[in-house]
Amino acid sequence: MPRNLFLYLDLACFVGLLAIFVVDGYLGIYDTVYIIAGEREEKIEPDSWLRQEKFGARGVGVSRDEKAFFRYEVDNRRFSRYMADIEVSVWHSQQKVRDLVSQPMSIAGFDKGELEWVIDTAELLPGDIPPEQSYEFTIIIKRGEIERNIIVYINPRAYPSKLVPVPSR
Amino acid sequence: MKLEYVLFGFGILLSLAGVGYLAAEYVKYLSEVGKLVALLLAVGMFGFLGKYLESLGW
Repeated sequence: MPRNLFLYLDLACFVGLLAIFVVDGYLGIYDTVYIIAGEREEKIEPDSWLRQEKFGARGVGVSRDEKAFFRYEVDNRRFSRYMADIEVSVWHSQQKVRDLVSQPMSIAGFDKGELEWVIDTAELLPGDIPPEQSYEFTIIIKRGEIERNIIVYINPRAYPSKLVPVPSR
Repeated sequence: MKLEYVLFGFGILLSLAGVGYLAAEYVKYLSEVGKLVALLLAVGMFGFLGKYLESLGW
């Protein structure tokens, strides 16, 4: 048995460990969504999509009549160029409400691509929804075969506006 | 001489902290198979290190 056999085996395990972290953990395509609604910024990180498969889509709250600004960032951690068609749409009760974005994306190796869109809750809400009632819809981001879902909760107004009668003079 | 040991210890601590940070950062991106193989390799690494130190007479 060679004198330093265990040392070489130990080093081989260490190199294998590093290789797994680099190849399986770092290389690949990672997408992140940044959402600004009101004064809050939320970040949906790539590992959130893995949890989505088990626990359902991530949700984000937006106040009524407010706009939400979305930024979709795709990180290409591969040596080759990445190309995909990005389609973003709004859905409610399994029915498409509106298309937001539909365009191809091409990202060079170890580079990032970005896409931005805005949703206006005032435009998306049906007219017959009273202010004290909440509402929700789903933003579906399709990147090639991959689909990401984000549920947008439209919060009800805490205090519905009431008309105050003008006192008679 | 003592200062050298202090510097060695400092360097080892920084290295371990760096590797630990990177492992914590990227372990969440590993697939289930990748996590299992990484665990087996980590066990093997510590096991072989123990056998090597044993062969040195520790």
